[in-house]
Amino acid sequence: MNDLRLRRARRPLPSRPLLLGCVATLALVLGACGGSSSDKKVAAGGFASGLPTDGQKRGGTLKLLGSEGFFHLDPGGSYFQLDYMVTYATQRPLYYFKPDDPKTAVPDLADGPPQVSADNKTVTVKIKSGIRYGTNKKTAITGKEVTAADVKYAFERGLNPSVANGYEGVYFPLVGADKAKGGPISGITTPDAHTIVFKLTKPFGATTARALVMPLTVPVPKSYVAPLDAKQPNPYDAQPERQAFTGPYMISDYKAGKTITLVRNPQWDPKTDFKPAYLDRIEWTIDADPNVAGRQIFSGTGLANADTPTAGAVKRFATRAKDRITFTPLGNRFVGVNTQRKPFSDINVRKAFAAALDRRAMLLARGGPLVGQLATHFLPPTIPGYDEAGGAKGTGADYLANPSGDPAVAAKYMKLAGFPSGKANGEKVVMLGENDSPAKETAQITRDAIASLGFDVSFRLLDQSTLYSKFCGVRTELEKIDVCGFAGWLPDFSDPYAMLTANFYGKSITAVNNSNASLFDDPAVNAAMDKAALIADAGDRAKAWGAIDRRLVDKVAAVPFLFDNVANIASKNVQGVVGQWIASWDLAYTSLK
Amino acid sequence: MTPPGGDPPAAAGAIAARSPLELFWRRLRADRVALGALIFIGLLVLVAVLAPLVVKLAGAPAPNVRSTDALDPTFGSATGPSADHLFGVDNLGRDVFSRVIYGARVSLEVAILATGSAVVAGVVVGMLAAYHGGWVDTVISRTLDVLLAFPILLLGIGLASACSLGDGCLGLIQPGLGVVVVVIAIATFPYIARIIRGQVLSLREKEFVEAARSLGASDRRIIFRQILPNLVAPIIVYTTLVLPQNILFEAALSFLGVGVQPPQASWGQMISDASAEFEDAWWFMFFPGAALVLTVLAFNLVGEGLEDALHPKARK
Repeated sequence: MNDLRLRRARRPLPSRPLLLGCVATLALVLGACGGSSSDKKVAAGGFASGLPTDGQKRGGTLKLLGSEGFFHLDPGGSYFQLDYMVTYATQRPLYYFKPDDPKTAVPDLADGPPQVSADNKTVTVKIKSGIRYGTNKKTAITGKEVTAADVKYAFERGLNPSVANGYEGVYFPLVGADKAKGGPISGITTPDAHTIVFKLTKPFGATTARALVMPLTVPVPKSYVAPLDAKQPNPYDAQPERQAFTGPYMISDYKAGKTITLVRNPQWDPKTDFKPAYLDRIEWTIDADPNVAGRQIFSGTGLANADTPTAGAVKRFATRAKDRITFTPLGNRFVGVNTQRKPFSDINVRKAFAAALDRRAMLLARGGPLVGQLATHFLPPTIPGYDEAGGAKGTGADYLANPSGDPAVAAKYMKLAGFPSGKANGEKVVMLGENDSPAKETAQITRDAIASLGFDVSFRLLDQSTLYSKFCGVRTELEKIDVCGFAGWLPDFSDPYAMLTANFYGKSITAVNNSNASLFDDPAVNAAMDKAALIADAGDRAKAWGAIDRRLVDKVAAVPFLFDNVANIASKNVQGVVGQWIASWDLAYTSLK
Repeated sequence: MTPPGGDPPAAAGAIAARSPLELFWRRLRADRVALGALIFIGLLVLVAVLAPLVVKLAGAPAPNVRSTDALDPTFGSATGPSADHLFGVDNLGRDVFSRVIYGARVSLEVAILATGSAVVAGVVVGMLAAYHGGWVDTVISRTLDVLLAFPILLLGIGLASACSLGDGCLGLIQPGLGVVVVVIAIATFPYIARIIRGQVLSLREKEFVEAARSLGASDRRIIFRQILPNLVAPIIVYTTLVLPQNILFEAALSFLGVGVQPPQASWGQMISDASAEFEDAWWFMFFPGAALVLTVLAFNLVGEGLEDALHPKARK
């Protein structure tokens, strides 16, 4: 099952040079990095590259099979990997990452790169002319041209409780945003119909400019959507087929938890867009059994996975249909422990736990070396700061030195924590985990590690949505639990700020939708993050965030265990193209053969 | 049914009288299939009780010991039977033989405790309703009707889910094995109560009960000395029939993730874990599945054998 994509996933964007990605993954994946256009179809090891190729076929219907639903299809609320697959096929943000270049955002709705002022406090963006809205039913907005005011309204409604965007405050410290609550934001102005200016409260332009790829930047026509925004639940989200679409596709039909269908947007003008949009139609089944789906995709035609394939499917494709499976390095995984509650409030207990955890077993439980590499810190190879944090070797912490766990080191830290025997005396530890594979297996390995320290582990496995919506994501509940689920993160864009703040910044601890799984709130780390976020120079930025990563390891903010290689599988007549920044199919580039 | 109270008629001539128990045993012994199933169950109980010894003698690791070296190094997947692991290993590198043996403990423990609880509750409630009649019978019978109207598996899943977190239900039903036992007992006792009620309704009108009542016997004496002995046969038969159902029920709850929680080995949970990998790792599902099938079959055969032995005419 797909725990990666349900971890309140931010959009990923690998930024590390792809060649390094190849080396780091033992040349199993991404062999196409640096390859010529003629070998673009195949990666090292014979696996599919997932890159776009010349001469892809136009037309046809792609059927996606998945077992998970969406969180929000409203571009203002979209903040989950599967949501993004639909949002980026049906809408146009200011900037976009082409599937084969996860480092450089290119203008999509924007007309040229963003202009950041010298004081780093103003960002100006020009938008293209001739981009028009498409709708399923003819309305006053159908065929109307997008203007800068529509982007402005998108930001304004992001602060409306009926939209409740999850990251606007993080990446866009806009002047006047604190008083807006869905109304006008004084820090956004539109000098003309095709220019939008963002004024920031602090010199944050470098980060804000990077964040202009987020779906919040998708234009939303106020005259059409404002009446919908006044309703709860917001129909623009609950009935996404009512949206005003700017992308190559429109949502023609949506049955929550069952199916979604995308068709061509008649108002989309390919002259204004670089996306090829080969497919005529995309039919997405949301409630497919993942094991059955894997078999259907293997033996059927016109099919591809919507969410992470099962370990069995990965094995089947990797051994019998290498040219139909891709692996994309992205994101991290770690075990968060409650740093505000005994026993894990004691740093030495956390170090003992890190030493006891069999991370090699965790890797194998997730599918082995093909689907990831052992992690010794938090910034993955695709994000700047990885090398500065220690690269593959890690920081040198003795409690992470042995991937299979080290009982002697664990006992050493337990003694330092005040347990003279090197073991706890049966103190109770409450742990909740997911009941789907492979999270279920990794939860059991984690439980074993805690039990090996002498704790009495109260261990329950729950279904994913209950676990995160009722426990791990709710601060008042999380405070009563020692280990809650598993965490991992897909960066919103290629920047360490987007990778580390959500999980380890004190202010990221929220009452609901909490993403700081360890409830980690260290004043020194918070201050270092605040400072590093303002650094514009790429080299200095990587150095600063690498140092923060090291500090997180020193403080055992969590125990890192994996840098992911996300697998995607397709039928034999599907030319699947993976957006490297999101590690899932780019539907505007995927085609049939 | 045993004859009502009093001594049997005196034996005549050289014909030796046989007690009901002797007759029952002779009939059961003649049923080779039931006897074989009974021996299987006896061995299963022995294996479950002596699980650590059996696993040690087989040279297998303990059920929760993970051997990552036994996993496929490329995919981290389960590997099949070998000299080191008789039944192969699961997807965490745990010995399947060892887990099947320990799984027998859970299955039998849950089945016996849950069935025992359900039978005691069912007999008490059923007798109470039928013997007293009137409003007591009405209230109990309608309550049983309501309970019987619930889809049994859904009821079990709901109760197990509700009681599996925190301090359980009302602080009484603690998460873990206890929840499964209570859930199964609650889900199955109404069936037994209904059957017992029907039997008691018939028995209480019999002459020997009338006779006892006219001789001044108290209700308690009538219930325990006259009616209950006549319920022994149906209780035994229904118990043996409910036992395998409850083994399956436990397996179903564990399969659905609301039964016995990992890392404790349970056949249902093992089958659930294996279902995603059946195509590539048949041993992972086959051995716990076979153990479950054989155990349920054995209990069913013993149940039928007991029914035949206790009611020889009923089968004819």
